[in-house]
Amino acid sequence: VSLVDDLRSEFHAALAGATSPAAARALRDQFLSRKQGKVTALLKAVGAAPADERRVLGAAANALKQDIEAALDAREAELAASAPPPGAVDVTLPGRLAAPGRRHPLTQVRERIEDIFLGMGYQIIDGPELEDDWHNFEALNMPPEHPARDMQDTLYLAAPVPPMSAGRPATLLRTHTSGMQIRYMEAHKPPVRIIAPGRVYRRDNFDATHTPMFTQVEGLVVDEGISLGDLKGTLNTFASQFFGREIRTRFRPSFFPYTEPSAELDVECQGCDGKGCGLCKQTGWIEILGCGMVHPAVFEAVGYDPAVQTGFAFGVGIERLALRLYGVDDIRMFYENDLRFLGQVPL
Amino acid sequence: VKAPLTWMREFAPLPDDAAAVASRLGACGFEVASVDGDVIDFEITANRPDCLSVYGLAREAATAFDVALTSGNASLPDPQGKALLPVSIGDAGCARYAMAVASVTIGPSPEWLAARLTAAGVRPINNIVDITNYVMLEVGHPMHAFDLAKLGGPEIRVRRARDKETLVTLDGVTRTLDDTMLVIADRERAVAVAGVMGGAGSEVSAATTKVAFESAWFLPASVRSASRRLGLKTEASARFERGADISAPARALRRALQLLTQTGAGEVTGGISDVYPRPAAARTVELSRARLARLLGDTVPDTHVERILAHLGFTVRGAADGWSVDVPTFRVDVAREADLIEEVGRHWGFDRIPATFPALSAVPRPMSPAIARDRKLRRILTGAGLQEACTFTFIEREAAEPFAADADTLVPIANPLSEKFAVLRPSLLPGLVDALVYSRRRETADVRIFESGAVFSSAGETTSVGWLLTGARLSHWSGDASPADFFDARGIADLVSAAFGVTVSARAATRPWFVPGRTAEIALGDDVLGVVGEVVPALLAARGLPAGPPVVGGELALAPLVREDAGAPRRITPLPRFPSIVRDLSFFIGERLPAAEVRGTIRSNAPPTLVSVREFDRYQGKGVPDGMISLSVRLTFRDNDRTLTDVEVQRSVDAILAALAARHGAILRGKTE
Repeated sequence: VSLVDDLRSEFHAALAGATSPAAARALRDQFLSRKQGKVTALLKAVGAAPADERRVLGAAANALKQDIEAALDAREAELAASAPPPGAVDVTLPGRLAAPGRRHPLTQVRERIEDIFLGMGYQIIDGPELEDDWHNFEALNMPPEHPARDMQDTLYLAAPVPPMSAGRPATLLRTHTSGMQIRYMEAHKPPVRIIAPGRVYRRDNFDATHTPMFTQVEGLVVDEGISLGDLKGTLNTFASQFFGREIRTRFRPSFFPYTEPSAELDVECQGCDGKGCGLCKQTGWIEILGCGMVHPAVFEAVGYDPAVQTGFAFGVGIERLALRLYGVDDIRMFYENDLRFLGQVPL
Repeated sequence: VKAPLTWMREFAPLPDDAAAVASRLGACGFEVASVDGDVIDFEITANRPDCLSVYGLAREAATAFDVALTSGNASLPDPQGKALLPVSIGDAGCARYAMAVASVTIGPSPEWLAARLTAAGVRPINNIVDITNYVMLEVGHPMHAFDLAKLGGPEIRVRRARDKETLVTLDGVTRTLDDTMLVIADRERAVAVAGVMGGAGSEVSAATTKVAFESAWFLPASVRSASRRLGLKTEASARFERGADISAPARALRRALQLLTQTGAGEVTGGISDVYPRPAAARTVELSRARLARLLGDTVPDTHVERILAHLGFTVRGAADGWSVDVPTFRVDVAREADLIEEVGRHWGFDRIPATFPALSAVPRPMSPAIARDRKLRRILTGAGLQEACTFTFIEREAAEPFAADADTLVPIANPLSEKFAVLRPSLLPGLVDALVYSRRRETADVRIFESGAVFSSAGETTSVGWLLTGARLSHWSGDASPADFFDARGIADLVSAAFGVTVSARAATRPWFVPGRTAEIALGDDVLGVVGEVVPALLAARGLPAGPPVVGGELALAPLVREDAGAPRRITPLPRFPSIVRDLSFFIGERLPAAEVRGTIRSNAPPTLVSVREFDRYQGKGVPDGMISLSVRLTFRDNDRTLTDVEVQRSVDAILAALAARHGAILRGKTE
């Protein structure tokens, strides 16, 4: 009888581990198979037992056999009930998709800026990256030998090339997007409400905040009676929409040859909410763009009457805003094209 | 420029709080780089040479704090008597030249003076040189002192340099001059480059007993040009080229003489010689009250307009609709009304001006076609799984040459930052190759990138889109990881063309940067738009690409695509009301026969009811005769006005097969429907 009890414990220990249909089947074979089953062997042994024990032993062995059969049936039914339907797949494996492509972060910032101004009724224009001296400097109130030309160290072509559209041969890489203002005003009568994005070039050495090529968005509004107040209202709206919340700004007087008055726009530092931190050199402010009222000499250069027309212009550096938006501290990252970097921006 | 506040306070009762002064001036257009104790370091914009001085900044601060500014002019000495050194001006580049001679005892400056120079960032040298520097820092007017004993004559002549004339400047460098440069000369030779730097030969030294103080005014363009040609920028040239005050020379000189006596460094001998042949005419600018309000968008009370301008040194008189304003000579930047409006605006405070929003007075125009095109390209290509890259427009010649049709058409930069940025890119591919190599070397095996932008040749600037692919098309656990090949690159060309509503054709071609036999020209009609192919491995290896799967790519010119895609919505044809009949044909055909030709033969021998021909299998190997391939095509027939019959379609198919057999020796393998 103790043999029967031992076999029962052995079976139950094995049953606990039989969690697949195959294991249950193996267990059935192990205990109940006609040839080598352990219970079958026990039943055979009953015949050989002394007559007085045979009845008790036989009853116990038969009871064990029925128990095992019942337990295995139950387990197999249980396993069958939880079996996956035919054709089931492992849904936890990754899906099949081509790796998605993303727009470059500088493009994303640029389009974000463009979209804000599109919403304010601006036309987006483009223009050549190779410029002539007139469009890049002279028409912008920077005659030859003007000291302000030093503010923008220019890259010149070794030899002039034909212009993109009719006009003077191109001699230099544009140092700012402002040339597009001139081209637009030369071709269109006021009122004007445009933005002009594009790459610009300066002979600046590489460091964490400078590359010899960078991207700007130029804006220009000309109409009768445009004021510095209009410039403020427009750029305040832009700053709030760009950063996605109402944000404090300040306009500091500055100097650009093509605007008068000129200003620089600071926004409160995103890193410290204007309290002062390393990012803003403890000032609480981050400079994001230069702007001003169009200089009358610029209007004269394009044949507009400065006694009638007034206007404002601004130039936003895209890299500078991208650094803020993505929390990146080195502008050079944008030009390395490391896919591990580019893959982190939103789709 | 570094301005010690105690020095500024000699001219105006400003608050004794450097941070407060810095912050107030910062709001008036003088950006503050740092405040270090008493010393405020201002960044002066190029239009304000008058503020490259303690006095100029004191004037601005006095205006900002509304306190009085003292001139100190009354106490300046005015030595009378015959000037001891003859001065002649022989060139219009010098409009004024003041000079005085003094007997001196060379030695160190008194401590207070040396300390001020040091605080302002200028190293003390000796009492005479220090006085000239002190005056420059205080008044803003550069001066120079010559050792009188070393001047030939002695006399001073202002003239153009003779071509190839040489001069050893104070920094010990021998300068070769040319006749565009203005010099100060004695009877024989040049002793200074006017407004830039003095000569070593007449430098004040320990042995000097008599000096000639120069305080002159030079034409900004003349100084700027000489400074640039010589590659020599100095404190003096920086001030002169932005525009010094033509009224300042005599006053600066008198201030120097006052300091000379005050410090015990020497005594003036004789009078001041002040050659100023054509005194500058006074400039008057009208300021209209209405235009002031209109440009600022705010009404500044008259009393504030007048107070601000008067504080800044302007002489203001009332006029009918505003003011007549005399511009002081030190304000070289003020020439017209807008300049005065800025003066009022910045001291009134930009932050006080109410923010408004300009009314739209015209209907906005649509964005330029190029902008719309680029947006569409980015949408389509990122959707196709390509990452947008942003590479430099200027690249090294070595990287550019393999991708240029002709090295002579490259556009070099005259003054590149370095050899790495020597020429403008002739194609987007070299930049993309370097970007691909960069990522491949940094743990990224599969790269799919594109860029659109300007490319350059000696014929000018155009725009194109380029792309490169390498590695698995799709990386998935199920095992489909075949690498991108020629047809992936070709597919992008087809996608871009489809995006702009055009159908392009491809034909075998050769380009030095693509593998022969895996290169195709993409054409729109007779216009070649660009090329697709597999990049030559040796070229990639030369740029540092580790061994790996092929790199394929392409580039298309964008201008013709945009011309085609004029933006008009395309018509959509109504769906067919009658069913189509499909026939699949498989045949053996010569392995070198382009699929396009097979397609052409089919089309030219089919009735108009054949609406599409599509290859769906191409096989070579077991069961296919040598030199042949098995090609399978699916033909779709449809008539928009009726249901086609099997019999007539079969007739068409038979005609097509006959033509294929006759023209290309095609052998039918049997229908595989």
